[in-house]
Amino acid sequence: MNGLMKAIGFVVVCFIAAPLVIVVPMSFSDARSLQFPPPGYWLGYYEAYFTDMSWLRPTWNSILIASATTVLTMILVVPATFALVRHKFYGKSVANVMMLMPMAVPHIVMAIGYYSYFGQMRLVHTHLGVILAHSCLSVPIAFLVLSANLKGFDRTLERAAQSLGASPVRTFIHITLPILRPGLLISALFAFIQSFDETVVAIFISGRDAETLPRKMFDSIRQEADPVIAVISTLLFVVVLIGLLTPYLVRGLRGRLRTRNAGQEPPPAALAPQE
Amino acid sequence: MSVNTGGVQGRGQFLPWLLLLPLAAYLLVFFIVPLVDVAIMSVTEPKLSLDNYTKVLTGSLYRKVFINTFATAGLVAICCLLVGYPLAYLMAHSSDRTALLILLLVTMSFWTSFLVRTYAWMVLLGNQGPVIWFMELIGVQDPPHLLFTRFSSTLAMVHILAPYMIMNIYTVMKKIDPALIKSAESLGAKGFSVFRHVYLPLTAPGIANGLVLVFVICLGFYVTPVLLGSPREQMIAGLIGHQIEEFLAFGLGSAMAMVLLAITMVILAIYHRRFGLDRLWG
Amino acid sequence: MSSYLNLSGVNKMFGDFQALDDVNLDIERGEFVTFLGPSGSGKTTTLMIIAGFEQATKGHITIDGKPLDGLKPYQRNIGIVFQNYALFPHKTAVENVYFPLQMRGVGRRDGLEKANRMLELVGLKGFSERHPKELSGGQQQRVALARALVFEPSLLLLDEPLGALDKNLREQMQIEIKRIQKRLGVTTIFVTHDQTEAMSMSDRIVVFDKGRIEQVADPLELYHRPNTRFVAGFVGESNIMAGHVVDAAAGLAECAVFGSCRYPADDRFSNGQAVNILIRPEHLKISRKAPESGEWATMTVDTIVNYGDNALVIGHSGDHPVRVRVLGADVVIIKEGEDCHISWRPEAVHIIAGT
Repeated sequence: MNGLMKAIGFVVVCFIAAPLVIVVPMSFSDARSLQFPPPGYWLGYYEAYFTDMSWLRPTWNSILIASATTVLTMILVVPATFALVRHKFYGKSVANVMMLMPMAVPHIVMAIGYYSYFGQMRLVHTHLGVILAHSCLSVPIAFLVLSANLKGFDRTLERAAQSLGASPVRTFIHITLPILRPGLLISALFAFIQSFDETVVAIFISGRDAETLPRKMFDSIRQEADPVIAVISTLLFVVVLIGLLTPYLVRGLRGRLRTRNAGQEPPPAALAPQE
Repeated sequence: MSVNTGGVQGRGQFLPWLLLLPLAAYLLVFFIVPLVDVAIMSVTEPKLSLDNYTKVLTGSLYRKVFINTFATAGLVAICCLLVGYPLAYLMAHSSDRTALLILLLVTMSFWTSFLVRTYAWMVLLGNQGPVIWFMELIGVQDPPHLLFTRFSSTLAMVHILAPYMIMNIYTVMKKIDPALIKSAESLGAKGFSVFRHVYLPLTAPGIANGLVLVFVICLGFYVTPVLLGSPREQMIAGLIGHQIEEFLAFGLGSAMAMVLLAITMVILAIYHRRFGLDRLWG
Repeated sequence: MSSYLNLSGVNKMFGDFQALDDVNLDIERGEFVTFLGPSGSGKTTTLMIIAGFEQATKGHITIDGKPLDGLKPYQRNIGIVFQNYALFPHKTAVENVYFPLQMRGVGRRDGLEKANRMLELVGLKGFSERHPKELSGGQQQRVALARALVFEPSLLLLDEPLGALDKNLREQMQIEIKRIQKRLGVTTIFVTHDQTEAMSMSDRIVVFDKGRIEQVADPLELYHRPNTRFVAGFVGESNIMAGHVVDAAAGLAECAVFGSCRYPADDRFSNGQAVNILIRPEHLKISRKAPESGEWATMTVDTIVNYGDNALVIGHSGDHPVRVRVLGADVVIIKEGEDCHISWRPEAVHIIAGT
């Protein structure tokens, strides 16, 4: 049983890894279409990506929209999470479900809604429209990460601060906020990625002017399968790899002396951006 | 000692509502209202009637798409389980270093834009891709067309959704006390029977979580089926998009969207009553 | 009302549950007072009310004549050491100690200097730049103590601070806390459920049970003359027999096992009154032969638990269990299962009112 399971497990590892591995050589291929093994290697498509405004503009749009979404999401989610984790009140469970709803509704449904609703508000094809929509979709992830962190927060620390003469406001600034910082950062990161990766709503409402990178990639794959996509894939892949390895590297460097790390570890792959 | 830990009991229920208010208002205006807009469109476009629903619920094309969607989502969920369970098992029962490496791979796959992963499958399964190349290498005459079939879209969706399944099962497996397995063995159970009577029941909650999650997400999948699937075997989301983009048939698209939403909500509501929604995403 | 800290008529309800029932207490300036009691007895609740984290349902508290009513925890100037120390993980030891000074507007240079001096006083010279997670349990405890003392609080509260430490370290910290408290002369309330800790550290002990104060006394008084059966049972080991007074004027009572026994005459009792008769295990003497004079009884030995320097002999006399504490060297004279004699002196007999 044990051996069989593990053998299948290894095959699955290859299955999971294959698509991640394949895009890297493809990005250096000099073939005009999807050809493997590549007939030759060059950096031409990297050059193409970094000089072509039709790729750079969506990239910039995505960064801009994801950043603004992150800020807006956090401004809304942080106080709400405090309310939901730390207080008991009538209607709490309803509020809890409401925070998670945007994750449960299929994005295609929201896409139609935004297309029509933002159409009436003249927000279709604008950055603002995409930001407003993405902020809704980022709420559940940011909330889940932050509430997990907040639940693990030792409130005796706040009592200690008060007994030492800190008012509630100063306790929040000097104690609560700094200790929650890793959780806040991860929560914000999840919100950013959710927006940066979101495709379906962006396809319907971002239009030419606010075109995001996933939308541009979607169109390109659908029409011609431009090899530049392999370049972008490789770059995104590298960014994710760096992002994932950074905590380990930092901890490796810092961890020799400080063995018991008080900061919360990033949850591995717990939370889900939909498409 | 029952010392109350709430710091602000005195102010009663006022403060939490104040803290919740901005988000609640925001979600109302930018989440609930658009959703209601879809519901309204489904009965007013092009005119006030239930025609759209009649069409969606009785038309043979739509029925075919709905059945196809369910079948695909079910197939993907089961494939994810078949693929995910052994991998989670491998992770849970390897050295820390191996487990960490696999975890890193799974996490990486998870965080890699699914567009990138969809694209990668296009490369892998394409006519000039490595799979066909390998088939020709080992002498398969006239290899089959893999891309833009039900096979390619299902495979890609399994790949995209497998991490959800893996993480759900892995979390549960990690919590199993190895002493339980040992004690089962000491009580006379062997190999497969330990697995069947002890291990499998203990991992059942993770399996259930994973299946529900994958199934529900898959129901609403748009991009991967559109890019990789056969145009003749659409899923609901794809058809909705098609109706809107090609025919500007908002009423029909909205009606389908409402049906999709209703199905999703029913599944999640059942799940919520049994286990609680926040458990689902881990 | 001349006491330093005064609690009068303090009541606390948690819903229908009465956590504190009419607590009255006076503590003098510079005193080291321990709140002792089982968990749920109200000692921590009382502490939290003094600190301002809980509001009393009824009653008043004053420090130095000034009422605390309505003051927020951060306005009370009371230092607290929490059970888990509650050190700020993102601040170094010295920054932790500096924090209360920072909150009181002391400049960074002066404040850090003062914080460092305080760390030195608690024996942590050279550890000031470490973060809490880089310190051992005992060291964290010292930082917490320094932090609670550095702003010269009007009162120091210690909430079971030694619970997380192992036995040796705990004894060391008991001595250390006492030393620092004496040196600074700060009025201190120490909460614990460990009676030996209470005995070894306190000027006075307040015993709590079921939300009420059972007795307030210095450690020896508490041990030798407990007011209630609960205190007698909770503080130290005891043999308690229900009985009644035979002759109050002469000091003669009667009960099971000890039979008709003399005690130091006390006019609190009257003839025929139902009482509990207490003899501590170390006040009973074991012998094989019946003593020629004095008061004695017989018992059968069930178990002998050896501790090296002493041994606990557990036996029974009739239906009643009896415990005797003997010196290690004396234990050889008896064996498990044997009958023996126990004797005592009248001064060792303590009478407690009630049944």
